[in-house]
Amino acid sequence: MQQATQLLLDENNIAFHPIWGNSYQVNDIAKDILTLVKQDKTKDEILEQLSAEYEISKEELFIDLGDFFSKLKIYGLVS
Amino acid sequence: MSKKIYQKPTINYINFAMASKYGSPLQTQKVRTEIDGVQISELTEKFGSPIFVFSEKTIEEKYHALHNAFSSRYNDVEFSWSYKTNYLNEICKIFHKLGSTAEVVSEFEYQKARANGVEGKDIIFNGPYKPKADLKIAVQEGAKIHVDNLFELNDLEEIADELNVKIPVAIRINMDTGVYPAWSRFGFNFESGEAYDAIKRMYDGGKVYLVGLHSHIGTFMLDANPYYMATKAIMHLKAQVENDFNAEIAYIDLGGGFASKSNLKGIYQSADVIVPTPDAYAEAITNAIYEFNKSEKLPKLYLETGRHLIDEAGFLLTSVWGYKRFGDGKKGYILDAGVNVLYTSTWYNFNIELDKRYEGENEPSMLNGPLCMNIDIIEEHIMLPPLDRGSVITISPVGAYNYTQAMQFIRYKPAVVLIDKDSNAKLIKEVDDLSTVNHKES
Repeated sequence: MQQATQLLLDENNIAFHPIWGNSYQVNDIAKDILTLVKQDKTKDEILEQLSAEYEISKEELFIDLGDFFSKLKIYGLVS
Repeated sequence: MSKKIYQKPTINYINFAMASKYGSPLQTQKVRTEIDGVQISELTEKFGSPIFVFSEKTIEEKYHALHNAFSSRYNDVEFSWSYKTNYLNEICKIFHKLGSTAEVVSEFEYQKARANGVEGKDIIFNGPYKPKADLKIAVQEGAKIHVDNLFELNDLEEIADELNVKIPVAIRINMDTGVYPAWSRFGFNFESGEAYDAIKRMYDGGKVYLVGLHSHIGTFMLDANPYYMATKAIMHLKAQVENDFNAEIAYIDLGGGFASKSNLKGIYQSADVIVPTPDAYAEAITNAIYEFNKSEKLPKLYLETGRHLIDEAGFLLTSVWGYKRFGDGKKGYILDAGVNVLYTSTWYNFNIELDKRYEGENEPSMLNGPLCMNIDIIEEHIMLPPLDRGSVITISPVGAYNYTQAMQFIRYKPAVVLIDKDSNAKLIKEVDDLSTVNHKES
C-alpha cells in the first residue's frame, strides 16, 4: 500500500500520517498531487492533468514532479 | 479558461525540534536585488554569469575607516596595497588613488605594480623567494627590500658589489605573540636572537644597511593584542639595533592579517561580533609604538592590509543551471561557478543571497559548482526555497584572494565588473576564452 494514500490533508497545508504520527508541510500544488495520488492516479496521469491546469511547460513539470516523487520515496510515502 | 499560476510542489517533514526562539528555518530567505544601486538582473543580463562584481564605494569606505583609525592616532602612517590579495589592475589603481603604495611578493606582482604607475621607491618587495635578477631590478629602482633569509642577504651583497652601491634594506622578524600556530616560516626569529644575529651579519658585511623592520604575524587575526606584542618586540629590536650599530630605523611595517567580516567555519558567533574593529587594531599597534619608543624620532608606520580592505567589496553572481534530488533527500543545485573560483570556500561560510523572494518552504539543500569533481561544493548544508533554473545567487564576501587564486580549471575564469561610486557598472576583465588558455602553448 502506498503510504501517501493514508495522508490527511488539511486547509493549512499540513499533511498528517495518522499511523506514523508524522506531519509534513506541503504547498497547494503538492496538496493537489497528493489528492490525485490518493485517487490512485499514476505519475503520468498526474503530469497530464496538472500541465492542463497550471501555467507550466510539460518538460519542466516532468522534472519537478519527478523531484517531488523522489522526495515522497525518501520519506517512505511511495514505493 | 486561464491556467493557474504554477509553484514548484514541495513537501517537508516537520521536525518540531527545528523551531526555536529564533523562528523557523523553513521561512527565512536572504534576498539581495542590487549592489550599489545596480540591479542583480541587470548585471547578469549585461555581463553574463558567473561574474565577480566589485564595489568602489565599499573599497573607499573600508579604506577610510581603517586609515582614519590609524592616522587619528599616529601621524606618519602609510598603507601599502597587498597585490596578492587582489591584483586586478583597476582594483589596485583604486587603492593607489586613495594613497596606497604597493606591497608585492614576486617579480610578476612587482612588474604589475610598475605597470600600474607605482614608482620603485613606493614598492615593498616581500616574500621568501626573490630571484637575484628580480632583486637586482628592485634595488636599481629603489624598492624597499624586506630580507627573508641569509641567502637573500648574500645575493644582495653581490648586487651591492655589482652596482657599487650600499643597499638600504629592512628585515622580516617573526616572534611569539601568543598566537597558535605561530608564523615562524618567514623572516628571522626575535626571541632566539636570530634576528639580531642576521642584522649583525649585515653590518659585518658592510654592503647593506638596515632602515626598516617588518613583521606579519598571521592571517584573519581575531584578536588585536598580538599586534601589540609584535610591535613591542619590533620597537625593542629597533632600540637595540640603533644603539649597537648606529643604525637609523626609518620605518616599521606591521604587515597585514586584519580580519574581514567573513564567517570562519567552526566559529559560532557572527563576524560582526568577533572581528576586531579598525580602532582595536590601530590602538594595539600605536600604543605599543608610543610605549616602547626610545628614539627621538618616531618611525614611519607601514601596513600591508589586504583582506580587511577588499573582502567585503567583492561579490560573485552565479546562476542555477539545474537541480536534482540526492539519496538523502537533500536538493542539490548545480551552479555555474564552483570552487574553481571560490578558493576561500574551504575556510569561510559565505553569505548566500537570492535574487528575489521565492514561494515555498525552505528545504535542506546543497550548492554545487559546475566541475565534474565530487569536491565541488560551495555550501554543503543550506536551507533554501525551491529555486528556478536561472535563479541568480549572490555570494559574498569574496573580494580577497578568490580572484587571484581562481583556477583556470575545467571552466574559463569569469569576467569581473566594477561598480563605481556613481553606480556605473563597467567590465574590468573579460571572461577568458580558448586563446587565453592556449596562449604560449604550442
